Amino acid sequence: MSAERTRSSLVKDVLDRSLVFVSGKGGVGKTVVSLAIAMVRASQGARTLWVTFEDPTRSRGETKQISPDLWHLNCDATLAFEEYATLKIGAGPLARLFIQNKLVRYLAKASPGIHELVLLGKVWFERTRYEYVIMDMPATGHGLAMFQSTKNFSALFSGGPIHKDAHAMLETFADPAVTGQLIVALPEEMPLRESLELNDLLLEIFPQNQPAFVANRLFPKTGETLATTPDKWPSPLATSMLDYVIKRTVLENFNMRIWRDLNIDYGEINFIPPPDNNSHEIISAAIAGQLTTKGYM
Amino acid sequence: MKKTPKTQKNIDKILAERRIIISCGTGGVGKTTLSAAIAMRAAMTGKRAVVITVDPAKRLATSLGLESLDNKASDLTPLLEKACNKKITGRFCAIVPDTKKTFEDFLRDLSPSQEITERVLKNPIFHIFTKEFSGANEYMAMERLRVLSRNTEYDCIVLDTPPSRNTLEFLDAPELLARFFEERLVKWLVLPANKILASGVKKALSLLERLTGTGFMTSLFDFASSLFELRVRFMANLKETIALLESQSVGFIMVTTPTPDTAQEVKHFIDTLEDHDFNFDGVALNRTLGYLKTEALAKKEAKQGIEEALEVMKALQAREEKAMERLARIKAPVCTKLPELARDVHSVEDLFHVSMALDISDPMVRAS
Repeated sequence: MSAERTRSSLVKDVLDRSLVFVSGKGGVGKTVVSLAIAMVRASQGARTLWVTFEDPTRSRGETKQISPDLWHLNCDATLAFEEYATLKIGAGPLARLFIQNKLVRYLAKASPGIHELVLLGKVWFERTRYEYVIMDMPATGHGLAMFQSTKNFSALFSGGPIHKDAHAMLETFADPAVTGQLIVALPEEMPLRESLELNDLLLEIFPQNQPAFVANRLFPKTGETLATTPDKWPSPLATSMLDYVIKRTVLENFNMRIWRDLNIDYGEINFIPPPDNNSHEIISAAIAGQLTTKGYM
Repeated sequence: MKKTPKTQKNIDKILAERRIIISCGTGGVGKTTLSAAIAMRAAMTGKRAVVITVDPAKRLATSLGLESLDNKASDLTPLLEKACNKKITGRFCAIVPDTKKTFEDFLRDLSPSQEITERVLKNPIFHIFTKEFSGANEYMAMERLRVLSRNTEYDCIVLDTPPSRNTLEFLDAPELLARFFEERLVKWLVLPANKILASGVKKALSLLERLTGTGFMTSLFDFASSLFELRVRFMANLKETIALLESQSVGFIMVTTPTPDTAQEVKHFIDTLEDHDFNFDGVALNRTLGYLKTEALAKKEAKQGIEEALEVMKALQAREEKAMERLARIKAPVCTKLPELARDVHSVEDLFHVSMALDISDPMVRAS
């Protein structure tokens, strides 16, 4: 346990910040991990907001209370844009005219960048109302686009109020005292490699803010070793259940070299056997337990 | 018109019937590997097959050990012949298109003059548009498909759609892009200032300018007026693409993994395809564990770590069985199953093993 603690000091540091963006490629468990982080904060009695971005499986826009100290916002660009416009030009009949104008609606929806900008803007605005805000980012490319658009647009909208807001927003997200970036990956080759690309791209946008890494869904370790490395196995298929189980743990250990070789300071989340109803909440609660027992939070 | 097949079709039957297969699915379900394996199967039956994967992460390129694929097809037939250790009459090719380049080609093709092309290419909004517009990758995949479908070089085209969180994003892309070309919208933006604008539009535009600054508005007007020049040809292309997608030569499959949510997602996908009048050919299930039989463990193998791992596997198999039951309940046709692999696909040879392991038996037929 103490070894794990020192090895994951960056994870602990990043998770301590009041704004945490949870990123990674699709399917690595960003949603359950981000919810787990929010659950831990709320259980400690801190007013916490968990944010998803336009998750099609959840109702959009409204903030819902999940537990005494935990709220969930499924951020929606159309609603966020309306809110933002109202904030900037007031809530009078003029604002209504503006928001309801078809042209403006088209532009808000179709213009590249505005979408991403207002989503992040909404989070930035909400941060003042909670102690912790934990964000479940869209998959790698889409998630990065949110930061990149904000940066690009900050330049494009020179002179207007959007420029000023985007600039202030980026400053907040760049500040390691306030904002943390957590990259989640699976112990599989592609997600691990992509996590490194994601790390580089995030550092390009926020050079002073080193992301932390977490490997999710680590299979139970069997302690088995094989004489050959996975790239020497003749076929990618397993021949039996036992063959699969042994190969899987050997493979995972082999794959993790991608981070180990770079001396990356990473956290580990063990595989949670799927509950019957596949409930995200049950999986997140189990992960929340791991986050505290492993000393990451 | 309902196009959902009444009978189950396995992937080989679909390959025999359709020239083009479009695989849709969210990120992280192994769409790229599966799409490539399907194209390879077609090649093994003597077809000249190509897989197009529009994937920013260039996963296919890496898994096939090809570092730089571009808009030209790479012929992987010699590698396949080496893997299966025989000569084949078909061909197996792969294309990883460059979205930015495809976009530029597309623009040159649409543009009535070199001057307009240059104007669009120089516009900062265009740059952000190609990089970040969420429908751009999707639309460019369709554009590639439209161009390639006219090429008689291939009898089988498998399109691996860009990874997205929402399976249906791909289907919405043309509509989203068409919005830019909507006549009324563009007219509003390109009308010279001396023309009479509705006062509401005028007010809205001036407020927008207050929010965004003048630089953005100038670029936007310029971008819109350039697009206006392209719209006639764009709409013609779009019509051709949609006609192609609706035709009998194209079948859609949904790639997914067996989880309790799968049936719900599949149902939603089928409904949306029906709304679009596209052909749904079946669900391709990836990462299936059904092929792994639990065997009795010898005493020396029954270590604690292994027992724990086997428990996890049992839970996953049970979950898969439930997912299959739910799919059967909504009568979703399953066209193929791809087993969970013990390691990643690193080469054409690996892909060959996968391609041969595609389970083409029909679970619903087997059950009845």
